[in-house]
Amino acid sequence: MTIFIFALKRILRDKTNVLFLTLFPIAAIFLPLAQEGWPLLPLGYQYFGVLLLFVSIRLTGIMIEDRQKGVVKRLAAAPISHFNYLWQNLLAFSVIMVIQTVIVIIGGHVYGHELYGPWNLAILYIVFTFTSISISLAWNSLYRSKESSFLIFMAVIVLMALLGGILFPMEMMPEAFQRIAVIFPTYWLSEGIEWIVLGEDRGDFLFINGVLLLYALFFLIIGSIRRIS
Amino acid sequence: MKELATIRFIGIRMSRDFITMLLLLVVPIILITVFSIILGEAEGLTGTPIRDETVVLLVLGFQLFGGAITMNYVHQDLFAERKDRLLSLPMNTRLYGFTIMLAGIVYSIVLGTILIAYTALIFDVNWGNFMWALLVITLMSSLSSIICLVFTFSVNNFKIAERLSEVYGVGMILLAGMFFPMPDNALINMFNDYVNPLMLAYTTIDQVRSGGLSDGWLNAVLLSVLIIIAFGLLLLTGRRRMP
Amino acid sequence: MVNVWRFMNIVFLIALWMYQDPPLVSFLFVISLAIIVCLRWRFRLPSWMIIIDLLLCFLFIPFWSSSAYGLALPVYEMMSRQKYRFLIIVILLLTLFELYSIVLLWLLFQAGVFGVWDASSSKQRERYITEADRERHARHALENVKEELLQSSRKAAQLAEVSERNRIARDLHDHVGHDLTGANLALEAYEQLEGKEAEVMLNEVKLRVARSTAMLRDTVHDMTPVARIGVDVLEHIAKEFIHTPVSFQCSGDMQLVPAHYWGLLEPCLKEALTNVARHSDATEVNVNLDVTMYLVRLSIQDNGTGSKHLGEGSGIRNLKVRARANGGSVTVNAVNGYQVVCVLPLEEDGR
Repeated sequence: MTIFIFALKRILRDKTNVLFLTLFPIAAIFLPLAQEGWPLLPLGYQYFGVLLLFVSIRLTGIMIEDRQKGVVKRLAAAPISHFNYLWQNLLAFSVIMVIQTVIVIIGGHVYGHELYGPWNLAILYIVFTFTSISISLAWNSLYRSKESSFLIFMAVIVLMALLGGILFPMEMMPEAFQRIAVIFPTYWLSEGIEWIVLGEDRGDFLFINGVLLLYALFFLIIGSIRRIS
Repeated sequence: MKELATIRFIGIRMSRDFITMLLLLVVPIILITVFSIILGEAEGLTGTPIRDETVVLLVLGFQLFGGAITMNYVHQDLFAERKDRLLSLPMNTRLYGFTIMLAGIVYSIVLGTILIAYTALIFDVNWGNFMWALLVITLMSSLSSIICLVFTFSVNNFKIAERLSEVYGVGMILLAGMFFPMPDNALINMFNDYVNPLMLAYTTIDQVRSGGLSDGWLNAVLLSVLIIIAFGLLLLTGRRRMP
Repeated sequence: MVNVWRFMNIVFLIALWMYQDPPLVSFLFVISLAIIVCLRWRFRLPSWMIIIDLLLCFLFIPFWSSSAYGLALPVYEMMSRQKYRFLIIVILLLTLFELYSIVLLWLLFQAGVFGVWDASSSKQRERYITEADRERHARHALENVKEELLQSSRKAAQLAEVSERNRIARDLHDHVGHDLTGANLALEAYEQLEGKEAEVMLNEVKLRVARSTAMLRDTVHDMTPVARIGVDVLEHIAKEFIHTPVSFQCSGDMQLVPAHYWGLLEPCLKEALTNVARHSDATEVNVNLDVTMYLVRLSIQDNGTGSKHLGEGSGIRNLKVRARANGGSVTVNAVNGYQVVCVLPLEEDGR
């Protein structure tokens, strides 16, 4: 578990990461409920998915950094498998982000937001955590430098949030956009949020989480490709 | 004046930097397209189409980030990789820094103009008087470049300066209430009315296209005052840090 | 290339899904198929995994009839792996759900043909690769053989030289030996003889001795190495030193001194003599080399008076270091004239 512990240390040593991991979620807790009747959850919780995507691309950035600095090359010569390296790092990322999610949910509950089903919301966001980590992993595998990957992913996040119906209610979109939206994981996140507030059928919730998990698996397989440089 | 002649090469360098191009031109185009399609022809409370409002705000908002180019080039050329090479040239570095700033501003204006033309031609967005829009874009890009340079000069760590410039951009957009409505606080309202460059620029364009020319002038002058203040800060901080 | 085709299929399914707007559940089908395609891209899956594709199609066709287009992937897979028995399942599925769309059948047929073509072409490629490997291997072996041949020919030349020399040396020795033995016998006979016969015999002995001496000289000059070794070198150096007369004495068994010690003793002597020549007013130098069971001692003593200061040049310092490396020492003392002593230990086993 050396890599796991080291990954945790590395993440917490970076001040910007700490800022992302503490200040923004706490700010998210205190954001108010929108007046217009949409979004259904307080704004901080509606946009928390976007924050998770940002955090995950920042955290997985250390794997690109490893490639940039030649750490992966040295690891290839070390008696440790790529698989080991991968899962321990991913575990570190997910542990941190899951803790963050839990804190935000508990904080909102204590603060007195109407979260409908805090347990369900926690499950949804934890599942989305896995999805976002594997998306950023796959995204990073396309790039050679941390900076360009991060900058372009920022734009992608905004687009995903926009088209996935996190920034706008789905119903406002044209018909064609509503259909295209389905391929974005953020669509399923906003569907999940909607279910938590309005939904009834337990199966739908399971289905939404299932799709998110399948997405996580899909991107994980793409992202787990071993690139040396 | 040979320093000013380097503007050509700075321009060539900027035109080859495709990631910046992607972030400052392609992304806004995609966002504007998506927004325009989503918003359709809906009309807001004041009678102007919401699309006009949002698109103008978006284009102006992206101008807030235009200073990042200037900042990066100044950092690379005068503080990092090329510092020693440039210092060994028989060239006035201050004037060279100024040239970079000029090139960044021009580049940002060009990108803004492309966006204005795109939105005006494809989505029929009402920009009022085109020359006015161009003037406002010029003011915005100058302000953003100057402020980013102030960050570069006043902070020792360039990473922090970059973060500060992002905070500047995102913060102004946040305060303008583009992500979600701001609480109705006197301080925030005053800030938006008199300081927030994004809101000043937007008000200028909005006033001019709806006929309130004097109000437009007022906001433009406020924006210019901001630029002058920022320039004074730039001179103060730059005198200390400039190599 | 194959992967491009696979992902194109997924893109096609997604587009179809969007276009037809079927129940949301069937999106699961698209994602699952995408995951399997991804897995096939990353790893080589066993062929029974085709069943999973077929099962997915079977499960989702009731929800969304266009799921049948997803069959193209397993059909390609089974054809490229030559598992034709899975085709029965496909046909069963098609008849079960009454999917007789011409477009679908044509697509599946195309996928199958593509699979067969891909299998054959990859088989061919594999054959080419193995052939190229074999050729490369053969060339490598050939180069090795060539190298070995060159080496062995060099070695053979060397061996020939050595054996030839040995043969000649032996021959000469034999001849000289015979002559000497003959001379000895003739001398013994001469003692018994008198008069004319004795004179003849003496001449014979003279002739033999002269011949063998000449032959011996020839042998020695031609066949033994010209370079001096061991104590001869030191003696030679001492003899050649013309600045002051040098007396050279040695005692003990010189065979005990290992060869590499000579490499140290020789510069030591040279250095000491050079110093005499350069700095000293000495008129006489004594060189003593003593070899005992346990050590070698070389002492160079002159009777000069000028060099009272014990300044050490880099030469002496260098020698000291080298002597110390061998476990010995070089000391300089200037009480009576100037003396350099080099002591080196001998190994216990008397090497």
